[in-house]
Amino acid sequence: MATPEMRAHTPRLVEKVERRLIPERGRAAFRLLSAERSDEIFPILMEEIVALGFPRALVVTLDLESGEIRPVAGINCTPNYQQKFKTALWQGENQVVAVLRTLKPAIIPKPGAHGRSLYCHPLLYKNRTACWEAERGNRFCLAVQNFHKPGGLEIGAQVCRSCEMRAYAGAVIVEMPANSSERQRGDLGSVIDVANGYLSRLFKVDHYYNRMRDSDVTIAQMETLMQSMADPVILTDSQHRVIAQNRAAERFFKLPEKEVTEGAARAVELNNLLFSAALSSMAVSGSSDASRDLTLVDIIEGEEVLFEAVTAPSFGRDGMRSGLVTVMRDVTDLRRADQEFRTSIERLRDAQEVVRQDRDLMHMVIENVGDPIIVADGSARAVLLDSLAQELFGRVHETTNGPIRLDSVDPRIVSNQVKLDSYLQAFTFSFSARQDGTLRLYSTESKSEVDYDTRSGKIYDKRGQVSYTITVLRDLSAFRKLEQLKMERRLIEMEKFAATGRLAGTIAHEVNNPMEAIKNAIFLIQGVMKPEAQPIYEILKNETDRVARIVRQMLGLYRHSEQVSTIDVNSVVEDTLVLFARQLERSGIRLEKDLANVPPVVGSADQFRQVVSNLVINAKDSMVSPSEEVDSHAHGRAAMLKIRTRHLPAADGIHGWVRLTVADTGSGIPPEIIKTVFEPFVSTKGEKGTGLGLWIVKGIIENHSGKMRVRSKLGKGTVFKIDLPVVR
Amino acid sequence: MSEKPSILVVDDEAAVLFTYRMILEQQGYAATAVETCKQAVNEVHRQNFDLLLCDLSLEEKRTGFEVFDAARARTPNVPCVLLTGYASKEAVDRADREGIAVLFKPIDIEEFLSTIATILKDHHHGKAN
Repeated sequence: MATPEMRAHTPRLVEKVERRLIPERGRAAFRLLSAERSDEIFPILMEEIVALGFPRALVVTLDLESGEIRPVAGINCTPNYQQKFKTALWQGENQVVAVLRTLKPAIIPKPGAHGRSLYCHPLLYKNRTACWEAERGNRFCLAVQNFHKPGGLEIGAQVCRSCEMRAYAGAVIVEMPANSSERQRGDLGSVIDVANGYLSRLFKVDHYYNRMRDSDVTIAQMETLMQSMADPVILTDSQHRVIAQNRAAERFFKLPEKEVTEGAARAVELNNLLFSAALSSMAVSGSSDASRDLTLVDIIEGEEVLFEAVTAPSFGRDGMRSGLVTVMRDVTDLRRADQEFRTSIERLRDAQEVVRQDRDLMHMVIENVGDPIIVADGSARAVLLDSLAQELFGRVHETTNGPIRLDSVDPRIVSNQVKLDSYLQAFTFSFSARQDGTLRLYSTESKSEVDYDTRSGKIYDKRGQVSYTITVLRDLSAFRKLEQLKMERRLIEMEKFAATGRLAGTIAHEVNNPMEAIKNAIFLIQGVMKPEAQPIYEILKNETDRVARIVRQMLGLYRHSEQVSTIDVNSVVEDTLVLFARQLERSGIRLEKDLANVPPVVGSADQFRQVVSNLVINAKDSMVSPSEEVDSHAHGRAAMLKIRTRHLPAADGIHGWVRLTVADTGSGIPPEIIKTVFEPFVSTKGEKGTGLGLWIVKGIIENHSGKMRVRSKLGKGTVFKIDLPVVR
Repeated sequence: MSEKPSILVVDDEAAVLFTYRMILEQQGYAATAVETCKQAVNEVHRQNFDLLLCDLSLEEKRTGFEVFDAARARTPNVPCVLLTGYASKEAVDRADREGIAVLFKPIDIEEFLSTIATILKDHHHGKAN
């Protein structure tokens, strides 16, 4: 548009200095205005500078990324000359850099020997009005900022905070003729400023162009993204009108291009209606993000599809709600699977419940085997009877599952059935989970009426209703009879023992007096024997002594008062020891009593006295040599008899034992006879012993349900431990 | 002690009584032997004995304690020994209470004689002091 002719003519039109200036700039402005792209600006500017009478000029621009300053355009400049101006922002001593930093034009005095001064004018992106992005956004526009108050040329500061565009910066370097005037320089500055203004505007247009291109790419990408989603995606405006949707959504909301059936049209209409209704109700619910189940009809397939519609509000750049984005997820299969899963779980629970009931049932049955058992259902009808119960209530007729039929013509069995029925009815429909009671039933076994102890429990189904009841009968009469038998047997045993004792005692008593006479007589003839008869006398004497000992032992079994009562073991021990105190003292045996507080035991005091005296005699005999002197040299320690009583409580706190311990430091029992020491006629005392003492002791203890043990070490001593049961 | 110690021995079995008397006399004691409680009571009323040996069970359910009671009514501290085949706890308790020694039949003669000697010696010393 601007031609050399125009340039040639225009200066002449204006006469005045002021007027002349305007056309000069105006002409240049016209030419610059013809530039359609920013890269056309610098060539025009160069020409206009030459037209103003300057010999040569060039433009350098700052690379805002690297900080390098490079020549980009020049006029009448050799490439070599241009390259001289290549520099970088950090080269602070360079005067072009100084101009860029200060953003003020400056004259650089003669750089070389033959060179001329240079005029350097800064270029910077600036505009008077903000771009629309800044208008809508944070109102910061780099161009406006640079226009009003250039913030220096820091690289970081030359990026717009609103649109992120980079500014341009650079400088025009013009060689000055030797005779350049002030006005010439003024014109030059004006022209460069005008060029910069145009450049800024074109720069902005370029920027918008680039942004648009970027936006197109982004939109295409978004479109691809949206279309590639298998789930329907719909963008709606604030009135819930569809703005955009992907193909998956069109399947439900848009009529197909061809072959529109009436059904399809209705389906589309219905789907749209349902969708906007769902959006409305979600909007009403108020939350920004919402989800809702929605059943739509597939237009092509005609199937119903269950969707979960998830919406999120979309916002404009101004932060205002512009509409909603709805993504719909096909949950038909998911819901079906979920439903199936729930059903399976339910079935599994039911099965578990059945197993549990069966297990409980079997458990209770097994637990109570041996007694009559009746299992009844929730209606109090018997469903299972064991063989013992069948004896009481009649044989079961093999039928299918369910209540069983009990048949009997025996009126007594029928009477039992009636009693059982009313018992089961009462229990099944009562509120208690367990019940104990008694039933008087006719027993075919004992051919009489018997009291049965009943014990019943309920098994509940998962709804808490009675599914089964279990009733166990216990024939108390049999139990009681057994207990009684046991007791009687024990009494008989005791009586037998006592009778044996009495018999032995009676015999011994009768033998005793003749014995006494014989023994005394033997003593009396001692001195009047012919010497050759002496061995015969010895036999007579020894054998008589032996009979005397047996008699003495047997006498111990004989007691007049065979009363069973509660006995304090400690006082029995004390009473018995009184009889032996002198003997023990005379034999030099130290007696140590350690009698703890013990509960009473049941039995015969006389028999216990015999137990204690037998053990004390044995202990004494084991510690005394035949010469009636304490055999202390043999084991080098004092002869000692220890008698101890202790209470050994049982865990239940009711029963327990009283332990009597008799320990001596005597010669001990040889290991070969320790196992037989409680058998009759076993003795460690040779001729002196009867072999009956411990046998009697053991008999008495066992008759009292007691236990007896012995521990012995040859040459060290013997310990007898007796445990008697405590009965409360 | 110039005089022989006098001992009254009582037992309802004649053979036993006889052998006791023989043994006591052989040992140098002046023994008076009677079979019944009645006779014994008569004897203790008639004279003082240094020692009484008495069977527990005598005729007609009488016991040696009757003899001892009668003797002690006359001579309170007279030493007594009860001879018995068996003794109820009550009898032993009573003997213990009353300071009466008990010997169980069949009696070991050594023990019999040593007991008598010890009692007489102790009693004599007791009296002398």
